[in-house]
Amino acid sequence: MTEREHGVVGRSVQRRDLLEKVTGAAVYAVDVEPSGTLHAKVVRSSYAHAQLVRIDAEAALAMPGVVAVVTAEDIKDLFPRFGHIVADHYILATGKVRYYGEPVALVVAETLAAASDAAAQVEVHYSELPAVMSAADALAPSAPLVHDEAFVVSPDESFTAMAATPTADEVLERDNVAHEVTLGWGDVDAALASAHLVVSNEGMKFPMLYAYAMEPYNAVATYTDHQLDVISTAQHPFMVRTDLARIFDLPLSRVRVQVPYLGGGYGSKSYTKVEPLAAVGSWATGRPVKLVLDVEEAIYTTRADSAEVNVRTAFDADGTILARDIEMILDSGAYADNSPLVVAKAANRSFGPYRVPNLRVRGRSVYTNTSPASSYRGFGAPQGSFAGEINLDKAADLLGIDSAELRRRNLVGPGEEILPGKRGLDADLRADLELLVGSLRRDASNAQSSGIGYALTASDAGAFPVSTAHVRLQTDGSVVVLSGSTEMGQGSRSALAQIAAEELGVELIAVSVSQSDTATVAYERTTGASRTTTLTGLALQRACADARAKAADMAAEVFGWPVETIQPAPGGVLGPEEKFVGFGEVIMRWFGAAAGEITGVGLVRRDGATQKMPPFWECGIVGVEVSVEPDTGQVDVRQLVTVADVGFAINPHAVEGQDLGAATQGLGAALFEELVYEGPQLVNPNVVDYRVPRMRDVPAKIDTIIVERRDGIGPYGAKGAGEGALNPMTAAVAIAVGRATGKWPTRVPLTPERVWRLLNDLPDDS
Amino acid sequence: MLPEFTLSRPADIDEVLRELNADVVPYAGGTELLLAMKMGLLVPSGLVDLKRIPALREISASESAIVIGAGATHDEVARHELIQAHAPLLVQVEQNVGNARVRSQGTIGGNLCFAEPRSDLLALLAAFDATVLLRSVRGDRTLAMAEFVLGPYWTDRAEDELLVSVAIPRPCPTGAYVKLQVTERPTVGVAAVRTAAGRCRVVVGSVTEVPLVVAGASWDDIDADGIVAQVEPVSDIAGSAEYKKHITGVYVRRAVALARDGAV
Repeated sequence: MTEREHGVVGRSVQRRDLLEKVTGAAVYAVDVEPSGTLHAKVVRSSYAHAQLVRIDAEAALAMPGVVAVVTAEDIKDLFPRFGHIVADHYILATGKVRYYGEPVALVVAETLAAASDAAAQVEVHYSELPAVMSAADALAPSAPLVHDEAFVVSPDESFTAMAATPTADEVLERDNVAHEVTLGWGDVDAALASAHLVVSNEGMKFPMLYAYAMEPYNAVATYTDHQLDVISTAQHPFMVRTDLARIFDLPLSRVRVQVPYLGGGYGSKSYTKVEPLAAVGSWATGRPVKLVLDVEEAIYTTRADSAEVNVRTAFDADGTILARDIEMILDSGAYADNSPLVVAKAANRSFGPYRVPNLRVRGRSVYTNTSPASSYRGFGAPQGSFAGEINLDKAADLLGIDSAELRRRNLVGPGEEILPGKRGLDADLRADLELLVGSLRRDASNAQSSGIGYALTASDAGAFPVSTAHVRLQTDGSVVVLSGSTEMGQGSRSALAQIAAEELGVELIAVSVSQSDTATVAYERTTGASRTTTLTGLALQRACADARAKAADMAAEVFGWPVETIQPAPGGVLGPEEKFVGFGEVIMRWFGAAAGEITGVGLVRRDGATQKMPPFWECGIVGVEVSVEPDTGQVDVRQLVTVADVGFAINPHAVEGQDLGAATQGLGAALFEELVYEGPQLVNPNVVDYRVPRMRDVPAKIDTIIVERRDGIGPYGAKGAGEGALNPMTAAVAIAVGRATGKWPTRVPLTPERVWRLLNDLPDDS
Repeated sequence: MLPEFTLSRPADIDEVLRELNADVVPYAGGTELLLAMKMGLLVPSGLVDLKRIPALREISASESAIVIGAGATHDEVARHELIQAHAPLLVQVEQNVGNARVRSQGTIGGNLCFAEPRSDLLALLAAFDATVLLRSVRGDRTLAMAEFVLGPYWTDRAEDELLVSVAIPRPCPTGAYVKLQVTERPTVGVAAVRTAAGRCRVVVGSVTEVPLVVAGASWDDIDADGIVAQVEPVSDIAGSAEYKKHITGVYVRRAVALARDGAV
């Protein structure tokens, strides 16, 4: 690029939240405590599956400081469940418990210490039921049912529109399948039968994960006369508002959900979590109630789906893919939460960004008596790509074709459809692959016991396009932006400020951004699927255009100019003879006082640029070089290369941060992270024994490449970032380990022992 | 969350000794104690804060020993010039204990008294032939590491005794300490040192309930396979017994190879 075409976007500006967060001044939900707040502690199930016989709270209620013990019996006149797809999730266990750790009662007391002490005194009498602790158990004939009743699936079109094909009408036959999707075309069996080569990878196991956010789930709720105010750690405050309004039968306008800074989300804070518990606590006591979970409780609130995947791919002699046949089973735990959508997305993303003329994907999300699974950064993509990308490398070896060349021959080109009828690919993956492999090979050590692995994914990202934004121009020309998109560390506050400053031609410092308060800011459906820059960004551009148009109309009126002679200008309008008038002056002249403001409104729906689903494809293009210590199986990651195919980087430094963060988080599932059940409960529900990546795990060489081809529908050609680099990481690391050891892994994380067993052909440890 | 407790902050050791009993326990870094209290595993009625007693943090050298106050933090031990001059292997180990927060808060005495079997220091100090000084109103006792550490989370410290200091005989042995560590604590840790008297000593930690000490006149006397046969690890989340036995052999050989080459 020669002259910079933009003033503010495309520059690495300092994050809006930087100083606040570094100095500790930033306010998170956990810091908020209205006066008169009571504190709650959850009494949790000590069985994986059991009838609730009786809850005896008398001893607890008699303890000093205890105000109430809320059980299912107390809230039965409310709508006692939540869930945005299937409202199957009881706020407090009703009739039976479905997993160890499920909330059974809520103790509300003057202090957290009093609530905690009393919680231990609530006597819960159970009658144990046989439990299903794995997907295989749950699918066995005559397996005990996790849910004896079925609930109506939300008719929301936004859900079905995000699955590639409409999913089957809910089968009310009772089994433990929470949701099933099928996807495909062509004649897979014929292609498999006539292929030059068919390569299989069976039983590829992806672990249960915990999206470790430094701030665990918490909420403080205040229920007063027909009004509920909640301050919580929700990524999607507007969707939480819907669940809460249904519980209490309140108008949406009388439920206010506010989200201050979020201490990490990674998808785990999508949708409703602890808000109903705090809210019923306040409803029962008439005082504000605060509930803060610890890490163990957070793990028992939401985890990521584990998966077992079988993949078969048929090839022509020249390496052309003829067919792929994929079966995935996701262990979704005790409640549906977002898993029906996760399995639908997992299916869409399972075969990769390749031309597959014949495809058959079957995905099942299965209920088990374990912690409920839901969204996690990447949304089903890592599970499928781990199996699918290893499968390609295995095939490349059998075909005698370089693994990059094999991918090159099969990659979908720019504009080509990955899913029939959906948006064509808005990226150039062949060019991206060259950059990736070039960087990896340039610095390859070629040492013994080292290997290079790379993998690609394409995710139908952006979720359902419903976004709005407001801008308010002030009398001094400064600008307030209102958005319902949550700042959870990804840097949206800075990016939105940059877009508004660019569109209105004002200084960045003159723009403020307020986010995520359902009573005051503009509606946003979700903060997820890497959508904010693209969809909220588009809404904000339109809001700025609306404000400029209003300013032009007002200038025409007060100056008597023909409206068609008025041109936009940075910070204001140009009248006839290039006469500049700033926004502030327009406002003050129109209102006839040093007062007033202009509000611009921007709306995004499935229309125009955002008609086709998905709004954009988020590509993951990553590679690593690892070395393996043969006698211990320890894996050392020497190189990490990511390619951010983002269309246009509004804040390049933030894009690099997102890719490095996503890739590092992806290293977790590849090498360390796995929640392990032994009997009804987890062995490692804490971050000492559940090992997340640390600074020392970050490779010496990190190359975060940004590619800008302006091929997105977002502002200035931008597309989203944030999930892409995580999605193929597990696959890339597993492939690199496979190359280093000469044996293809079938399971992650690749702990030292697993790699040692792989090297020595010893059976898996569990 | 933490249960309720009383906190006293004495200024000298005698005052501490008057307060200690089964229910009132010493508190320094809190990196083990407070976690156990939060989990409800320990519910003492009172804590005696040792952090305001300078004598407990002193590190000194006599002709016969380096003496480390039990209240010295891992960081303080690693940075102390006497330790750097006389026990460089201890510096290396202390720089890699736990994590940065543990090293800046946790103390050498707390580490030993907690007797977590996966402690780096238990193995290394056994290799160093270190002794601990216990004091109570009843008097002083000096114990060798093997006498002090009786089992996992179990020492010979009586409820009214305070661990005052650790003494490492001079000249301090030299050698190597290597460990396999994936999570917060090692899966196996092995020290191999040559003592002042010229003996070769290997101590295997973490994989056993208490450190396993093997010695010989030369490195060739150290039989890695024999050591592997002696350890009886349990399968847990850090690894299967089979794998732990295997890596015990690997790390014994590595430690001996490094020590033979004259590592610190």
